[in-house]
Amino acid sequence: MTTDAGARPALRRLSGAPLGLLALIALFTILRPTVFPDPGNLSNLLEHIAVLAIVACAQTVVMAVADFDLSVGATASFSGVIAAQLLIAGWPTIAAVAAAIATGVVIGLVNGWLVAYLNLSAFVATLATMTALAGGSLLLTDGSTIFGLPGDFLLLGQGRPLGVPAVVLIAITVGAVIWFLLSRTAQGRRWHAVGGNAEAAAYAGIDVGRTRLLAFVVSGAGAALAGLLLASRLASAHPTAGDPLMLTSIAAVFIGLTAAQAARPGVVGTLLGVVVLGVLDNGLNLLDVNPYVQQILTGLIIVVSVGLSRRRGRRS
Amino acid sequence: MKVAKSPALRVTGLRHAYGRHIVLDGVDLEIPEGEVHALLGENGAGKSTLIKIVSGALRPSAGKVEVHGRGLAGVAGARGAGVVTVHQNLGLVDDLDAMENMYLGRPYPRRGLFTDRAAARRHTADALAALAPSTPLDVPVRLLSPVQRTAIALARALEQEPAVLILDEPTASLTAHETEVLFGVVRELRERGTAIIYVTHRMAEVFELCDRVVVLRDRRVVARVRPAETDPDALVALMTATEAGQAPPRPPRPAGEVVLGVDGLTGHRVGPISFEVARGQVVGVAGLGGSGRSELLRLIGGVQRSRAGQVRCGGRAVRPGSTRAALTAGIALVGEDRQRHSIVASGSVRENLSLGSLTALSGGAGLMRRRRELALYEEMTTLLQIRAAGPEQPIGELSGGNQQKVVLGRVLATRPQVLLLDEPTAGVDVAAKQAIRSLIGDLAARGAGVVVVSSDLGELLSLADRILVLVDGRLAADLDPREADEYTVLRRCYGGSA
Repeated sequence: MTTDAGARPALRRLSGAPLGLLALIALFTILRPTVFPDPGNLSNLLEHIAVLAIVACAQTVVMAVADFDLSVGATASFSGVIAAQLLIAGWPTIAAVAAAIATGVVIGLVNGWLVAYLNLSAFVATLATMTALAGGSLLLTDGSTIFGLPGDFLLLGQGRPLGVPAVVLIAITVGAVIWFLLSRTAQGRRWHAVGGNAEAAAYAGIDVGRTRLLAFVVSGAGAALAGLLLASRLASAHPTAGDPLMLTSIAAVFIGLTAAQAARPGVVGTLLGVVVLGVLDNGLNLLDVNPYVQQILTGLIIVVSVGLSRRRGRRS
Repeated sequence: MKVAKSPALRVTGLRHAYGRHIVLDGVDLEIPEGEVHALLGENGAGKSTLIKIVSGALRPSAGKVEVHGRGLAGVAGARGAGVVTVHQNLGLVDDLDAMENMYLGRPYPRRGLFTDRAAARRHTADALAALAPSTPLDVPVRLLSPVQRTAIALARALEQEPAVLILDEPTASLTAHETEVLFGVVRELRERGTAIIYVTHRMAEVFELCDRVVVLRDRRVVARVRPAETDPDALVALMTATEAGQAPPRPPRPAGEVVLGVDGLTGHRVGPISFEVARGQVVGVAGLGGSGRSELLRLIGGVQRSRAGQVRCGGRAVRPGSTRAALTAGIALVGEDRQRHSIVASGSVRENLSLGSLTALSGGAGLMRRRRELALYEEMTTLLQIRAAGPEQPIGELSGGNQQKVVLGRVLATRPQVLLLDEPTAGVDVAAKQAIRSLIGDLAARGAGVVVVSSDLGELLSLADRILVLVDGRLAADLDPREADEYTVLRRCYGGSA
């Protein structure tokens, strides 16, 4: 394909995630004209998707190097549990938060080491850490929810500086940092090059193992941060609270791929994917659709959007 | 004698082009029942394409293939007509055992409703008995020796009672004794009337085994002779293009101090190899496919870790097994297969150019400096005359020649002292070929040491100050291009003596 982007009809450029998002917004606005576009609902929506946005941005880095991280959900749960237990044990909030994020970094190092240096497939390695972490969370909590977290920790997820939810601000910051890393730094170039053609990257002098390892470290740290915010928002730590984030974060990156011109993972596309999933969730709730049916619809959306991006990939 | 009968295999007017690149142009071939025909030709003469077409894997642009007078269509058609191919890589599934490989794609014997594995196993043992009797049947074939693996692939081919059997370098990984066993099988098949195409790089096998020799050159069959009527040197002469108006040999370049020292370098199937390259010198490396040319460059360039020996650049030892260490030391490598080793297809021209020097193009915090990147783009597009719509154009939209120039630009941006180029002009148009060759001369003139691997012997002769010939992973000759021609180089590649 040699035509440039400008020659494509406007509708083609709008296909995939952006078009789907517009369609969903139009649909819900027509069906619930008073409730859906209400600022209160939209603010609620943003707050709701902020945690997913952080995990999905971190997942984008791993998927940019053509791997994926199945352990992000379990890491988020584990990080919340660690923070909660430390807080209950009397640690200051700062220290507990730092310890939880450090845990995420270590998990990322382990994943990255297994994948990049022991040559396990990302599937096997992160499935294994996911399973082990799920066990760890249950062990540390006896399978129950931890309540009674201190007030200053709850500010992280529930505070509203200047009227804006803190989680949304944090998510925007994380998104901006990862966007910057991926598109403006030498490290971002290495991630994209290894994801595009690992062999060519090696020939060009890039340390492929280190590059993949670092991507997993980012996803581990991002997942841990998300887990903290989740615990703070819910004012409790549950051993499986973060688990659904794994599938939805990968889904968001895939949906985002349908929006990108170059067909490689990027933060802008991923955030679009997160908003699509969030609007779908929010709108279907407003329409009182059975939550199980919602899950089925989400699955359908993923298949359709990935199918679309595949077709476009073949054409170019 | 066989006049009235249609031959086992008849190929007429075969023509094939990949895009605008013509690889076969009017090939005719006829193999009667019970004859073994050797297929000879330089790298790139069109042997692989011919085999693919005969085995049905590739549809030719024009011409036809007939087996016993019946036309073929596709792989299934070729199989049905009895064309069976044993590829050089043997086509075995590594994780399955011998029996499972034997029955790959074929029904197992049955007993009632169930497959009869015991019978299948007995049958496998019988089939292998003549070829490699002690082959273990219950282990994945990945654990077997080369001869055992070859035996399985061959036994599987024989099960299909081929009318035409294609053997693509079957002896590449066999010892002399094992080769004899294989020859026995081939002779027996010949007795039974099978027509055999035997592709090889080993001249001695041609004379020991084959009834006819078919030589491909420049996309055509240039000779079809009986071994008794020729000799190895004459065959090599037939393979060598003797185009009129070949470039005259260049005057010798003044050689400077030694910039690259290779000392006893040993890899998986190469070495030990020692040689030196001086500043301003272009060293050509010639060798047949599988001679270890590419592996030698990969060892020097740090893509593969050497088992023994040392590489020195500018007098300092280079840490093995790291492209980064090699680049830091001043050794840059451009790989053989552009799509596989060089291009990041999802990236732009700018991103592909910058890939080798990300650190230099970014500031303290690893932040990419756009202005430096664009300056590099300007510099390299001007120097190499890269035709691109702009820095943001996807690399995949460029022609092969321009892609190759981008890769060269990427490497030049690292300011290498030693440049290792593996088939730098393969698959590029004539103008780009010329541009790349003159660039190599310029780089040498500015004091770089250049090592070029090329299958185009004319190119090597006009480009190099010295030509190293590799045979079976060893340095077989060190030739002066001013005293050699394509014929002498190719003869040495086939293991001929001075």
